Amino acid sequence: MPVVGEPSERMRKFKNKGKDAAALRRQRVEVNIELRKAKKDEQILKRRSISFSLRDESLSPGEDKRNEIIQLSLEEILQAVNGSNPELQLQATQATRRMLSRQRDPPINQIIELGIIPRLVEFLCHADNAPLQFEAAWALTNIASGTSDHTKAVVEGGAVPAFISLLSSPHMHICEQSVWALGNIAGDGPLYRDALINCNVIPPLLALVSPATPLGFLRNITWTLSNLCRNKNPYPPLDAVKKMLPVLICLLKHEDKDIISDSCWAISYLTDGSNDRIQIVVDTGILPRLVELMASPELIIMTPALRAIGNVVTGTDEQTQAAIDAGVFTVLPCLLRHAKSTIQKEAAWTLSNIAAGPCRQIQQLITCGLLPPLVELLDKGDFKAQKEAVWVVANFTTGGTVEQVVELVQSGVLKPLLNLLLAKDSKTILVILDTISNLFLAAEKLGETERLCLLVEELGGLEKIEALQIHGNNMVYRAALNIIEKYFSGEENPDLQPGTGQDGLYDFSVEKQDFNF
Amino acid sequence: MELSDANLQTLTEYLKKTLDPDPAIRRPAEKFLESVEGSQNYPLLLLTLLEKSQENVIKVCASVTFKNYIKRNWRIVEDEPNKICESDRIAIKANIVPLMLSSPEQIQKQLSDAISIIGREDFPQKWPDLLTEMVNRFQSGDFHVINGVLRTAHSLFKRYRHEFKSNELWTEIKLVLDAFALPLTNLFKATIELCSTHATDASALKVLFSSLILIAKLFYSLNFQDLPEFFEDNMETWMTNFHSLLTLDNKLLQTDDEEEAGLLELLKSQICDNAALYAQKYDEEFQPYLPRFVTAIWNLLVTTGQEVKYDLLVSNAIQFLASVCERPHYKHLFEDQNTLTSICEKVIVPNMEFRAADEEAFEDNSEEYIRRDLEGSDIDTRRRAACDLVRGLCKFFEGPVTGIFSGYVNSMLQEYAKNPSVNWKHKDAAIYLVTSLASKAQTQKHGITQANELVNLTEFFVNHIQPDLKSASVNEFPVLKADGIKYIMIFRNHVPKEQLLVSIPLLINHLQAESIVVHTYAAHALERLFTMRGTNNTTLITAAEMAPFVEVLLTNLFKALTLPGSSENEYIMKAIMRSFSLLQESIIPYIPSVITQLTQKLLAVSKNPSKPHFNHYMFESICLSIRITCKANPDAVGNFEEALFMVFTEILQNDVQEFIPYVFQVMSLLLEMHKNEIPSSYMALFPHLLQPVLWERTGNIPPLVRLLQAYLERGANTIASAAADKIPGLLGVFQKLIASKANDHQGFYLLNSIIEHMPPESVDQYRKQIFILLFQRLQNSKTTKFIKSFLVFINLYCIKYGALALQEIFDSIQPKMFGMVLEKIVIPEIQKVSGQVEKKICAVGITKILTECPPMMDTEYTKLWTPLLQALIGLFELPEDDTIPDEEHFIDIEDTPGYQTAFSQLAFAGKKEHDPVGQMVNNPRIHLAQSLQKLSMACPGRVLSMLRTSLNAEAFQYLQGYLQAARVNLH
Repeated sequence: MPVVGEPSERMRKFKNKGKDAAALRRQRVEVNIELRKAKKDEQILKRRSISFSLRDESLSPGEDKRNEIIQLSLEEILQAVNGSNPELQLQATQATRRMLSRQRDPPINQIIELGIIPRLVEFLCHADNAPLQFEAAWALTNIASGTSDHTKAVVEGGAVPAFISLLSSPHMHICEQSVWALGNIAGDGPLYRDALINCNVIPPLLALVSPATPLGFLRNITWTLSNLCRNKNPYPPLDAVKKMLPVLICLLKHEDKDIISDSCWAISYLTDGSNDRIQIVVDTGILPRLVELMASPELIIMTPALRAIGNVVTGTDEQTQAAIDAGVFTVLPCLLRHAKSTIQKEAAWTLSNIAAGPCRQIQQLITCGLLPPLVELLDKGDFKAQKEAVWVVANFTTGGTVEQVVELVQSGVLKPLLNLLLAKDSKTILVILDTISNLFLAAEKLGETERLCLLVEELGGLEKIEALQIHGNNMVYRAALNIIEKYFSGEENPDLQPGTGQDGLYDFSVEKQDFNF
Repeated sequence: MELSDANLQTLTEYLKKTLDPDPAIRRPAEKFLESVEGSQNYPLLLLTLLEKSQENVIKVCASVTFKNYIKRNWRIVEDEPNKICESDRIAIKANIVPLMLSSPEQIQKQLSDAISIIGREDFPQKWPDLLTEMVNRFQSGDFHVINGVLRTAHSLFKRYRHEFKSNELWTEIKLVLDAFALPLTNLFKATIELCSTHATDASALKVLFSSLILIAKLFYSLNFQDLPEFFEDNMETWMTNFHSLLTLDNKLLQTDDEEEAGLLELLKSQICDNAALYAQKYDEEFQPYLPRFVTAIWNLLVTTGQEVKYDLLVSNAIQFLASVCERPHYKHLFEDQNTLTSICEKVIVPNMEFRAADEEAFEDNSEEYIRRDLEGSDIDTRRRAACDLVRGLCKFFEGPVTGIFSGYVNSMLQEYAKNPSVNWKHKDAAIYLVTSLASKAQTQKHGITQANELVNLTEFFVNHIQPDLKSASVNEFPVLKADGIKYIMIFRNHVPKEQLLVSIPLLINHLQAESIVVHTYAAHALERLFTMRGTNNTTLITAAEMAPFVEVLLTNLFKALTLPGSSENEYIMKAIMRSFSLLQESIIPYIPSVITQLTQKLLAVSKNPSKPHFNHYMFESICLSIRITCKANPDAVGNFEEALFMVFTEILQNDVQEFIPYVFQVMSLLLEMHKNEIPSSYMALFPHLLQPVLWERTGNIPPLVRLLQAYLERGANTIASAAADKIPGLLGVFQKLIASKANDHQGFYLLNSIIEHMPPESVDQYRKQIFILLFQRLQNSKTTKFIKSFLVFINLYCIKYGALALQEIFDSIQPKMFGMVLEKIVIPEIQKVSGQVEKKICAVGITKILTECPPMMDTEYTKLWTPLLQALIGLFELPEDDTIPDEEHFIDIEDTPGYQTAFSQLAFAGKKEHDPVGQMVNNPRIHLAQSLQKLSMACPGRVLSMLRTSLNAEAFQYLQGYLQAARVNLH
């Protein structure tokens, strides 16, 4: 019995037994509006290169000693940059880069307002003056690392083709700086990402990957590649994805954890989409590796690996099966019990999508021992994780066989589920009420309705459902009322209709018609 | 309407008239206002009046009228005309906020409501400056204005607490947060500062605290959906201040009122809610603050008094602790033995005490007291909250908590023992404590289902409960008596049977207690004990064990109904019913007196039936009296008729709707008790039972059908001879019922009885019509229920009139009809038939069609012969329904599936299942085998060859089993 009159947005996104499975699988829920602080566990979109790092000393051949650094005013910079003295140009560009590399409050806006970006872009093309090229590239990198407007200023200054051609620079440090700058531009959003792709950034970028590439450089390349895979609306073009994917798969097998992490992020972006995009990743045979990485002790690896697998199981039953075959069920119990709530939540979300699958997959979920950690999570997990766990149970009861639902109830799911009826979240409450209805449907089939009624009452569920009959949300109170009326009051709605009456007693008469059953 | 003085004057007059107590003046004025409310400027006239009218009463009236007008008309419904013209809408939105803020409180509230109604439709898109307009007033420094703004904001934002997450909603919340969160925070800080500068100014404090309450409520709404970035960044400010407000006290804010919560209580209560919200949803971020709140709330509880005004605060605060102490990562906050002891001693025990207010309810409002105490509608009470905290703590600390409380229970019992008449409340608390500690899970039907194993329930029962109940006076310490009885009741499954048996005479004795609660509990406890199950599905307590107490039990139960306040006590009546059912024939000697008392009661309550459960159990008791007596002595039925018919006649004549269904059921029961032809007294009533007016009421249908069936069983011949002219009316009832999907099965019950009992010639002329009617339903709106009943009916018909008659009548309605019904209905659907008797009827009927219907062997119907046989074998081999043995004794109103206010089926008027083929056929499988043998002898070789060529192997194997069992061979 669907308690909810109209299937909710999320419900529609689930794959659903008996319906068009492919169309109903649940995607990563897209939130356009966020009230929360930006998520702390997301991959960094843009990065600024800060001074006083080793590379400042070693990789900047044009610079001498730190105590000789010349301080210039903005006015002086403007003059020098626009002048024609290469010495002064370098000095000014360096000063600019230094300001922009300050730990705190880099004066990005002032530099942009100075209007020197086109000049800096010009300097990128001074192949005869590598130090100037490098300083300009660094300065522009840091400008591009700011807000969207900042990045826009760099792109509109014409930096994109210049940086792309610098990918082939003979100087490795210039090359690397360009990779970084391009990463910042790609990270801005789908528009610039595609602008880069259209400028053919991928072949020279991929060409930089070789066994000889130094580690730090390779990290940068991986990160930039991941930004080129990132963002939806629209997704990155398919042919670009197909070009990057083999390299990413290689990088995923690297030993360095940052490289693994960023390539995992890249895979997680590529799988965060329609089923044909998921399929491209599944076809590479990388799922077992991703599952292995899900069990990594490094949070920076576990997080994107889990996301990637989580995305894969939003796909078709076959794609989900591939993840199951890759061993996702062996790792999920640990993740459901993970100390970090975001991991619990993501793991539960993943499980909820598997539970939305056909009953043979639900059976595997049971056989692999996922019910105990699920019940634990439902009981003691962080609230966000509990919410996802509720979805697992809801999906399970929608698609599972009666026997499977019995097993679920026997695993002790009911008590924590009913406790969550006190949750301060209308949606969760509604999903639980729906789940309870599903359980009653199963109980009816077994002739166990009365036992379930007693169990629900005994576990304190009845009074919670009764209390929900005055809930402020219409759908919640109607769902609660429905359950009470249907299972806890014994009352039935009479469906009376008038018959025929004629003077005194009923008239008994019929007219013959043709019958065909 | 123009905005003119004349119109204002007219409106004033009509508004005044709407306040007139005389409906002749009031109604036309209301009508008039309704008729003009579509006119332009009407709302503006109202606004002008509520602002400028000379008379306060008109101002208020205009504001209420305005609010209701907005409520009815503001929303623009798709495809319906816009009921308020655009210029009025703009003018209202432009003026209403300042107007609201400058109005006195009474009007401000109405306008604030109006704003939130408008806001629900227009905010934020169509009312973009509302927020800024409101926020700007925060700076006014005028707290009358500020509170107006806050109240309006609260009514606008409180929906965030229950709406589903959506992009639209979150966009709005984000907009609100951007504009509102910072000013609100500043206002919060400023208000708190003002509170300390005005710490000695009572009237200023009151206004400021009203603001703080509203601010705390707004905090709750704005933080409900998710933790906004702003509030996460400013958690320190909010939580530090909330925390200090929790610990704040100011004499000036304390109220003398004992009942109504004061501002301080309301504020703290809301802060507890806010902390609970954060603890539940934003645990990670809130963790650093939580321990402080636990301590503060716990101190708050320790220092808060027993007055009713603190109830909400206390129960909110305890619930907060209860929800926190269950979480593994906060376990450490409670782990310390001193902490636990202190919580038990200072938070739980005091809140379990029986308070003056409870005592008052116990004495003066016992119905409410019973409802709360017995039926668990105590969700918001302190006792309940304390009980939840005990359960929460027991999750991790069952041992220590049980230990601590054992000490308490002992010391409280000692206090009681020192001076019972002064210290009886200590014992009450001790019992309550034991109960809450011991009960882990509970249902209405079974009492406590899981108990704390660390508590010795039987020992406590023997040492501390029984002595109270054994005391000489049943009226001494009524609260303790009630506690003791309740203890037996809820722990009945955990106390050994011999102790229950010891308790029974004590309970019977307490039926005489003057206290309504005590004798009600005694009746309820007895009733519950009598429904406990022993081995083999019998009752735990047997009639033999009750033998010594029968007389005193019945006497006391009926006497209890005469005690003040209990004349229609449903618990007592239910205990009467249950006692009858348990005691069976041992009540016969008392029946004359019992039935007199019951009929008197019936006569009395039929004047104004008001207690449905009481009435129901009364009729059940009457039925039981009849059944038990007539089982031993069938002739006694006349005595019952004599005693009851007079009252029944009165009920029917006065059309006491609540009782009529019951009366029909009792009459059915009585009629069925007759062994001979139907008495003439019943026949006189027959035409009246066919009156359409009776059949229009749903509740009458089942008992009336039942009664007509009894008439047909006992008096079919009499009807055929003496009331043949009523047969069309009888069939009319059938037609009426069959037309309804809800009642068609009732129609079939009636039809089956007609076919089974009426002499064939009396219904001959109607038979064809009956089938046409059924075919029409089948064609136009068939349901599974209908098909099942239809199948049973045609097979019954076949048994009664023969298979050939069935085939002939079908084919006479339409050629090849018989084959179509077999093919499309019987063969595919027969397995749906459920019920032992129903299946048997179908089996015998189909056997007849297979073996006694020549057209099945020699027309085109022959091709259906094997499929039909196969379907029949399927029907045999389906798993049998587990029919439940005599379960009536344990029945509750709530259990009966058909229970509804209109019709209450009496369990004890129950009809024994009737098997129309009982004598004819014992074993339908053997019957099939024998019938097949006869057929095979009549047409040698044909049966076997049909079986071998087209019956499937499995079915064939079953069939051979039947043949062997019947020791017959086919030829």
